[in-house]
Amino acid sequence: MALQQGLRPLRRSIWSSQSSQLGLAAQQSRGYASTDIADTIQDLESASSLRAGTPAEDTTSQYDPVGRARRRKIQLPPSRYQFRPPKYYRGPLHPHQPPPASDPASREFQPGPFSLPRLEQTYQSTFAQDLMTLAYTHFPPGYVAPTKSARLRKWEGESPYYKNRPLRGPRGADVLRLLRKPITFRNVPKLERVTVHSMISAAKDDSAHLHVAGMVMQAITGVRASAFKTKKSVAGFDVRANQYLSLTCELKGEDMHHFLSKVIDVVMPKIKDYRGVKGSTGDSSGNLAFGFTNEEVALFPEVEVNYDSYPPKMIPGCHIMIHTSATNDRDARLLLQQIGVPFYGKLVN
Amino acid sequence: MNAGTKTVRRLASQPNRPASDSICSSCLFRLSNTPSQIRTAATAAAAAPSQTTSTPPSAPDAATNPILHPAYQVRASVVLSRPPLLTRELHPFEKAFYLYQRRLNERLALPFTRYFYYKKGTPADVEWKRKIKQRLTPARDIGVYNAYGREGWNDEVLVGDQTAEPEVQVEALIRDLEHKGEEEGEKKETESNEMAVQRPLSRVTGADKSNDERSLDRQMERSLYLLVQNAAGKWRFPEDTLQGREGLHQAAERVIVQAGGINMNTWVVGNAPIGHYQWNFEKAIENVEKSRQEQGEKVFFMKARIMAGQANLEKNTFGDKDFKWLSKEEIEKFVTRGYWSSIKNMLSER
Repeated sequence: MALQQGLRPLRRSIWSSQSSQLGLAAQQSRGYASTDIADTIQDLESASSLRAGTPAEDTTSQYDPVGRARRRKIQLPPSRYQFRPPKYYRGPLHPHQPPPASDPASREFQPGPFSLPRLEQTYQSTFAQDLMTLAYTHFPPGYVAPTKSARLRKWEGESPYYKNRPLRGPRGADVLRLLRKPITFRNVPKLERVTVHSMISAAKDDSAHLHVAGMVMQAITGVRASAFKTKKSVAGFDVRANQYLSLTCELKGEDMHHFLSKVIDVVMPKIKDYRGVKGSTGDSSGNLAFGFTNEEVALFPEVEVNYDSYPPKMIPGCHIMIHTSATNDRDARLLLQQIGVPFYGKLVN
Repeated sequence: MNAGTKTVRRLASQPNRPASDSICSSCLFRLSNTPSQIRTAATAAAAAPSQTTSTPPSAPDAATNPILHPAYQVRASVVLSRPPLLTRELHPFEKAFYLYQRRLNERLALPFTRYFYYKKGTPADVEWKRKIKQRLTPARDIGVYNAYGREGWNDEVLVGDQTAEPEVQVEALIRDLEHKGEEEGEKKETESNEMAVQRPLSRVTGADKSNDERSLDRQMERSLYLLVQNAAGKWRFPEDTLQGREGLHQAAERVIVQAGGINMNTWVVGNAPIGHYQWNFEKAIENVEKSRQEQGEKVFFMKARIMAGQANLEKNTFGDKDFKWLSKEEIEKFVTRGYWSSIKNMLSER
């Protein structure tokens, strides 16, 4: 019954559109099912709580949660109102299940996002569209893509060892490179994450360098830096295995956008005689990197505002790796150029 | 000249392909490379004239009135847009959500390390103590809220609370910078070092208030598109027929200069059109020069961005009368319905 009621306006709209379109030119009748049933959906969702509106005036004026709590004589039972999730996950059959990480009561809960970054908005409204237009390749309707040979080769020869052997790798390399698919609205290159990395070789004598560098990196990125051990001893560099000598910050989402816009709009313009990022950067799968010296790191506004707190000789330099969803360096560089990163020298793809 | 261009030239110069300009050279090249000759509706249109003309016409007939092939006028049109200059207005739900998340963060984060940022006994430390007494939290834009106190659970604002509004948050930040809200006794000391904080400019400009549709300062958080009123009085994007051997990109650059003058710093994005519009004339136009009968027009839209400058119709060569910079919804009111249905999906929502 409910379904019939829901379908009735739809049927009515179809009938009315049929009768009205008879007199119109054929080109004007270009309509879409989604727009035709828009009013039908409104009918269906009329009772939704989203459309309920604000509560009445007297209800809001009387609502005072703090006063109510203060007036309470007997405290509420802590077992019910101060819920602590279990410390360990004991399997799906255990009666005491932890809440999902998105629940503020969960131990894994991380608040955020706190804002809608300007860079992200500009990407959505401007960069993505332009990038898609720039990268568009036209395939006319009758086009059939020419068939290419398989990327992994067979083992050809008489040797009995070639039987059932896994396929041979490509010529000149032992791994397959990423394929570049035609760019459509589904796979426009976008920023995925940014890694800020710093190796502090002075920390092998004095760990204070590592602590200061950690504070600086946390200040400029807004993310706690994680320290990494050296894997091997290198006698030439005076480095032994298992020493903590490097720091890394992984930035994603909001942090990443704020950090990149800070780098591009504040730090890079302040660097004296800055030439830009080297054009040959990239790992040929869409990840580009550049570095800042310790003097350039000191130009970050978070360090500048509180410069006296950091021992000047302990401020580290850092490498910034930008991971994009592009599958080759050319597309990734196009994206970064749109965002405003300058490149110099020979551009290598 | 590479092999591809040669192939296209050869295909275009074939005698049984007189209507070769009804299909573009890159399509011609791609289709010539197809292993199997698959014909769809789109390519059948190109193939059809070749069949009709392959039969040799009688000689005296050709001398008196040359055969006119049915074809379309190919026109290039420029969708010149000014991208949004400001961030968009947040939805009330977004504002409330961001404020709530900031307060949650304040509850969960480690306490502010005061002695790292303010040395003990310095004026900055005194200032900090005074401020934290007022707002109860290190964060400056979440209102008066004590995350660590007994009533830290009360992190949601009540109905009608203005704390989540961006204007209120900006005011709070400025008040914080200007050392305002001090007690009477202290005021005299700090009055000398009070600095003038530059306030953010209004998001609403004069052009917004007067609704000046020719101005580029209007609707700063939306994309604006250049629309011109042509000699026939119709509102359209600036357009012109392709001249000689020029491509769409070249034509777009020419149209921008010929329509809006040289006082515009523009960038034509890419070589491919972003949309197309077709219109059949009521009566076909006979073009004897190109020996074709023009059934209608096909307009290809090229995307372009304006960086600086403004349109000026004084030296317009197309006889355009007026121009306007309009957002998507406003364009719908000015253009015809058929034109709107072809252009609406290529215009940006924001």
